[in-house]
Amino acid sequence: MSTKNKRPLKTKLLFIVALLGVCFILIQFARPQIDSPPVKADFEAPAEVKNIITRACYDCHSNQTNLRWYDKVQPIYWQVAEHVKDGRKGLNFSNWKNMAPADQKAKLWEAVNQIAEGAMPIKSYTMVHTEAKVPASDLAILKAYLAVMVHSKPADTSKTNALDKQYQKWQKAKTAHTKLPVEPNGIAYIPDYKNWQVISTTERFDNGTMRVIFGNDIAIKAVKEHHINPWPNGTIFAKVAWDQLQDTAGNVKTGAFKQVEYMIKDDHKYASTKGWGFARFKTPKMVPYAAGNALFANECVNCHRPMSNNDFVFTMPVKH
Amino acid sequence: MAGMVAILYACGDSANNNNAGTINARASLPDSLKFTALGYKVVTLSINKKLGTMSTLYGNKQALDNAIAGADDVKAGEAFALITWKQQDDDRWFGAKIPGNLQSVEMIKTAADASGKVAIAYTHLEGKNLSPIADTLHNAERIKYIFDQKPSVMP
Repeated sequence: MSTKNKRPLKTKLLFIVALLGVCFILIQFARPQIDSPPVKADFEAPAEVKNIITRACYDCHSNQTNLRWYDKVQPIYWQVAEHVKDGRKGLNFSNWKNMAPADQKAKLWEAVNQIAEGAMPIKSYTMVHTEAKVPASDLAILKAYLAVMVHSKPADTSKTNALDKQYQKWQKAKTAHTKLPVEPNGIAYIPDYKNWQVISTTERFDNGTMRVIFGNDIAIKAVKEHHINPWPNGTIFAKVAWDQLQDTAGNVKTGAFKQVEYMIKDDHKYASTKGWGFARFKTPKMVPYAAGNALFANECVNCHRPMSNNDFVFTMPVKH
Repeated sequence: MAGMVAILYACGDSANNNNAGTINARASLPDSLKFTALGYKVVTLSINKKLGTMSTLYGNKQALDNAIAGADDVKAGEAFALITWKQQDDDRWFGAKIPGNLQSVEMIKTAADASGKVAIAYTHLEGKNLSPIADTLHNAERIKYIFDQKPSVMP
């Protein structure tokens, strides 16, 4: 290469660098709004628990977002603003006390599970904000706090009565649903789930329920052939939940039917919700959960996110 | 610094491994049982908190229908299977317990003899390999326990 050709190349490079520099400066003036609404219903817990939650979660999951200077540099700031927006939408500790007590409890178990499974705080965030990491010792504090909330006690008469009432109706009415209830995403209640084979069962001591996870023929075949990550298209799970009815000797039977939930695999049709169509029908009347709850799809995917490397499925199948 | 931060923010987020893609082997039934082929349906499930066990009761159509109807007498052609596991903590959800080691399979079959009298046959298999238990001491008690189970409400 001759020295003659070097000069124009250098000039070009300088020009590009200068242009990028100008762009960099200009985009600094594009500032998405991250507001700080007043905190009126903040999360309350013992100081050691509150401190961990504040440190690990509050930047994105409260109105008390604390941005460092390097969070405010564009183009990073766009992503930070998006994280805060999404984070507050999914869970906002500043609005904690506006939730019903049962929802608060469920949300806290979910939050601690997100941390325990390594899904939260988001790794890209903790790489920059290392102080937000939750070490094993802090996780143990959170788990101990939750464990105190578990009440394992014999069922009172209200639970027994609820079951008796349901049972009598169910025993008589074999064809209760002439028109099948449908979720806003188009998924209808599938009455045949009870004739499917079982994938597994679970005891949920966090919320006092017990469950059976049924699978359709495609799901059962996938378990037999061990093709479960990802699950094949056409797989359907039906998870049924009942109240626990415990006697004084510690024997637990199923109480009132709570709900049936479906996961339907179709990686094309349900691409926007990680390849799964989610549905939940509550009480024997099969009331679609998402009716009047536009955030349902997000709620399902967010809670299943810790299983992102397991095709978003929590259940570990038992071969039958 | 800002560039470094940008690179870190761009890194992918992934959760823990969670034994992704694995089957719950210790809880699985041996192939030799050919359980799925029996086509039994779920009747109910139960937990024993003192023993840390969980059980699922299955039945054939006739057994389930009779149980739902609340029939007092035992009819011929009923079949039940009660499968019991030791519980284990669910690694994927703090707050849940799932089947652990397979503990036992108890089977009941009813059939009418020549005179039309209904006889109840009970078998008890135990452990991972489902070895037959010959001791019949608790048979009557277990048969009564299984027939006394009320089906779970499945609308």
